[in-house]
Amino acid sequence: MAMTSLVHHVRSKMFILAHRRARGMLDGEYGSVFKGRSLDFDDLRAYVPGDEVRDIDWKASARHGSPLIRRYIAVRQHHVLLVADTGRNMAAESLSGELKKDIAVMALGVIGSLALGHGDPVGLVHGHAGGTAALPAASGDAALERLLRTVDAVGAGSAASAPEEQLEYVARTYRRRMLLFVVADESVPTERTERLLRRLRAQHEILWLTILDADLTELVQRGRRRPDIQPRPLRDIERHTAVIGPVAASARVLAAYELARTERDAARSAMLRRAGITEGRVGSADGVVSAIFALLERHRRGG
Amino acid sequence: MELMLWWIIPCGLGGGALFIWRVLRNESRVSGSRSVAHTDRLTSLPEYRSALRRHLRLLVAMVGASVVVVLGALTAGARPVTAEVVIPEQHSRDIMLCLDTSASMSSADAAVVDVFGELVTRFDGERIGLMMFDSSAAQVFPLTDDYVLVREELTRAKGIFDGSLDEQGFFAGTGIAPGSSLIGDGLASCTQGFPGPDDGTRSRSVVLATDNFVSGEPLFTLAEAASLARDKGATVYALNPGDFDYGDAPDQPGATLRDAAESTGGAYYSVDSTESVAGIVRSVQETEVAAMTGAPQRIVTDQAAWPLAIALLAVLVLLGIAWRVER
Repeated sequence: MAMTSLVHHVRSKMFILAHRRARGMLDGEYGSVFKGRSLDFDDLRAYVPGDEVRDIDWKASARHGSPLIRRYIAVRQHHVLLVADTGRNMAAESLSGELKKDIAVMALGVIGSLALGHGDPVGLVHGHAGGTAALPAASGDAALERLLRTVDAVGAGSAASAPEEQLEYVARTYRRRMLLFVVADESVPTERTERLLRRLRAQHEILWLTILDADLTELVQRGRRRPDIQPRPLRDIERHTAVIGPVAASARVLAAYELARTERDAARSAMLRRAGITEGRVGSADGVVSAIFALLERHRRGG
Repeated sequence: MELMLWWIIPCGLGGGALFIWRVLRNESRVSGSRSVAHTDRLTSLPEYRSALRRHLRLLVAMVGASVVVVLGALTAGARPVTAEVVIPEQHSRDIMLCLDTSASMSSADAAVVDVFGELVTRFDGERIGLMMFDSSAAQVFPLTDDYVLVREELTRAKGIFDGSLDEQGFFAGTGIAPGSSLIGDGLASCTQGFPGPDDGTRSRSVVLATDNFVSGEPLFTLAEAASLARDKGATVYALNPGDFDYGDAPDQPGATLRDAAESTGGAYYSVDSTESVAGIVRSVQETEVAAMTGAPQRIVTDQAAWPLAIALLAVLVLLGIAWRVER
């Protein structure tokens, strides 16, 4: 495996999924995450959609014939802190059937690449019930690769997931303002999470990407619709208990599950909104680029 | 009640245990399953729990019904039988009535024919034939199980023997050879009334009614005729209404008749009065029946109906449950 294989993989995928213009826009969106910039003018560059309109140099644009953007020298670098769950929950299947950690690697890789492109160092806080650890913020593809591999190493043998522990760790450890990019699965919001997030939001910019879990009832129903395909039994990665297909497929159970999921989603969205955190959702690795784009866009608009 | 193929049950149970073990072993391998997170969000729903309880109840019932089916089939496969020992009564007897028609014998003949006329009403499968002889033998009717004919013929013969019926020609053919009462020839002819050699499927007996007073030159002596009867596999029961032997000399007519009968495995009866003929013939008939009863046989009857019926019921229950699970 090449030294930077995961980074390479993420970049190739970005290349395929977003054409040049869209990549530029993604860059612009990323650049707009941070509010407040220095006034030390650096140079001009062509406008790409997503740039702040107030950054357009109208005089220069008029002379040049197309919109130009003023670029400023950043007074300080922005630190990007990726927060990822590396418990075994992430080794389970996502909505698309891919492993959730693969989607997480893709998302972290995209944000990491964008940050490195802007010269921002990237760090990682990861962990599980067994403990939380941090990789210090660093620049360069090798550092990003190391970080992605840490997340990629999650397997069914990893310790149980404890996503709150990582947030707790971040709140406890970091003093400087950063961009937090949190990748989590469909967690159930608790009082404690909300308090933590409010506290973190006061200090950091926070982007929250929810990786959608496998739809259990959909898997069960697909098995029933296609009796020619032997349905593989569903087994919980945490407790190793099985889901009994015929039981889950009964109409009342399906309805109850659907209702519970809708309520859970609404509760999580409401909690994040109250905390002032922008949430994006993604169900597959191929959806990561557009999900992040939408997430950045919404963050810029909303923030 | 016993099991003929009892080893099928341990074999079947062993096979079943092996099958269950393999299924469980496959089940415990998680390779084929999909790992998903947060299944408790589905499995802890009260709706799921109650559906699971219902599912489990149906599964338990299904397993129970399957076990009953398997056990029923195994039990039926092991052939539960009831065995009883019966002594079958044989009805495959051939009886040849061989009557000496010399004048001294007519009342005894009438008694013999009368008794058989009654007995034939209880016959079932036996064949009976009637031959008469004086100096030569004539067949009245051959061995047959046409009992209507037999009864008619015996009634007619009785009428003629006791004089109530006068029919010229009834005795035709009995006096062709010179002499009279050629007992040896008569018995020899009677034994030829049995078709073919003895193949062991039917018992053969000759009821020979004669006083053994020979006047003339028979072709066969009584001893030769008896050996012919032996060759044919026939047993000769001799009935002598006029045993007038003097002393115990073996050449006396009664004694030779006794020897001849006993040499074929039969018996000799001397009759004092014609009334006793009936009793003797009956006793001969009864000893004959007793001798003809076959070896005790063990009759084995399959009793598979109950286990099969139970297995069938269980199959129906199983189908019903499967239908409910599918819904």
